[in-house]
Amino acid sequence: MATGRTHPRWMRFYADGYDLSGFARQISELKQEFGSTPDAALTDAVKNVLVGQASLGVGALNAFFDNTATVGLQAALGSAGASRTVMVLIGMRGNPAQGDPVYAAMLEQLEFRIKQENGYVVANVPFGDADAVAPNLAYTQPWGVLLHAKAAETAVNTATGVDDFGAATTVGGYLCYEIFSSNGTVTVKIQDAETNSNGSFADLSGATSGSQDASSTPKAGIVALARNATVRRYLRWQIVLGTATTVTFALSFHRATY
Amino acid sequence: MAAQTGRTHERWNRFVVADSADTLREIPVETVGDVGLSFDTADVSALQDAIKNMVSGMPGAPIKISGPLDNAAATTVAASGNAPTLSGSHTVLSAIAGDNKPHTLQVLIGIRHYWETGEPVFGLQRATASNSGYTCTKYTVNGNKYTAEFEVMGGVAPAWGTALLTAGS
Repeated sequence: MATGRTHPRWMRFYADGYDLSGFARQISELKQEFGSTPDAALTDAVKNVLVGQASLGVGALNAFFDNTATVGLQAALGSAGASRTVMVLIGMRGNPAQGDPVYAAMLEQLEFRIKQENGYVVANVPFGDADAVAPNLAYTQPWGVLLHAKAAETAVNTATGVDDFGAATTVGGYLCYEIFSSNGTVTVKIQDAETNSNGSFADLSGATSGSQDASSTPKAGIVALARNATVRRYLRWQIVLGTATTVTFALSFHRATY
Repeated sequence: MAAQTGRTHERWNRFVVADSADTLREIPVETVGDVGLSFDTADVSALQDAIKNMVSGMPGAPIKISGPLDNAAATTVAASGNAPTLSGSHTVLSAIAGDNKPHTLQVLIGIRHYWETGEPVFGLQRATASNSGYTCTKYTVNGNKYTAEFEVMGGVAPAWGTALLTAGS
């Protein structure tokens, strides 16, 4: 994982198990805003706030229109008014890698409209706030860390993990999985540990996709932990192969820090 | 080198905010919005007055910043007179946005060189007893740039000074 600054060209956009980065031209703002109107009592020295409810969102995806069956932009997002599991990755001066920042949320897709732009037919896909049935409605922090960059795996993970916060926490978090393909059933999950060694990792309770079969249709989802769940310092991806012998996926964890 | 006086360039500005563990961190900024107190006013003009007149009311002190998205590890803030040592903007802000907690925040105005004690500082030191400090109310990433907004928590006003504020207590 590189650290420091980067270029927008290294961003990636996944939705509902589809990698739409090959169509995406621009991803607008990844927002995290809190209602907070300044006010003051007569004896206060200054107008001040208490932070209210959060509003999350990814603005709009602007992408090249593509009608390729099954995997094209129209196939993936052609039906607006639906809930989408969105994962936006920010590669740090390279393709997204383990440890890089990730923004993930379940959002309402508001539109799918095409227009002409600089000679191209492009689609504008705005997203609204969190879906009413999003599992992570108890969490206001959409930023997390990439635990597994999009790649195929055929065996369990025995490597060390990621130190995303420098300490264990006790206020839960949520995972986001994007399973692009598999040749049978598989479970994608997260393990945590106090020390960053293979033998120290154990399943993070509740942090699992459950059995998924992406052999015909990609799968994606968000799984939220209890709001008081303990998450130890180090995190890593893990898989359990059911009938599948290979799975291509991306996985992130969004640790709550308050 | 001693503190200097006179005019300066924005390149010598520094932005320091306490992180989620209440440790001071300096993050990279490209722009720092208006800094200082801004008072609302009440028009108290009477018909018999020759000119309109008003009284000042309650001040506000929001601060808006923008800069490059950066996930560098957190590091110790540089001391007076030294070149800045930067922590990642994303590393710090993603953990405090919306936490509803007061944090020490300060803008240091270096006068034609790296900021030194004795040169202007605008900010507010965290005070747990009065629940006062700055809180981050908005954190937005657009490509490789971020914007963030801070508002005052509690009833204590930020102020101008000439010394680095501590993380508070």
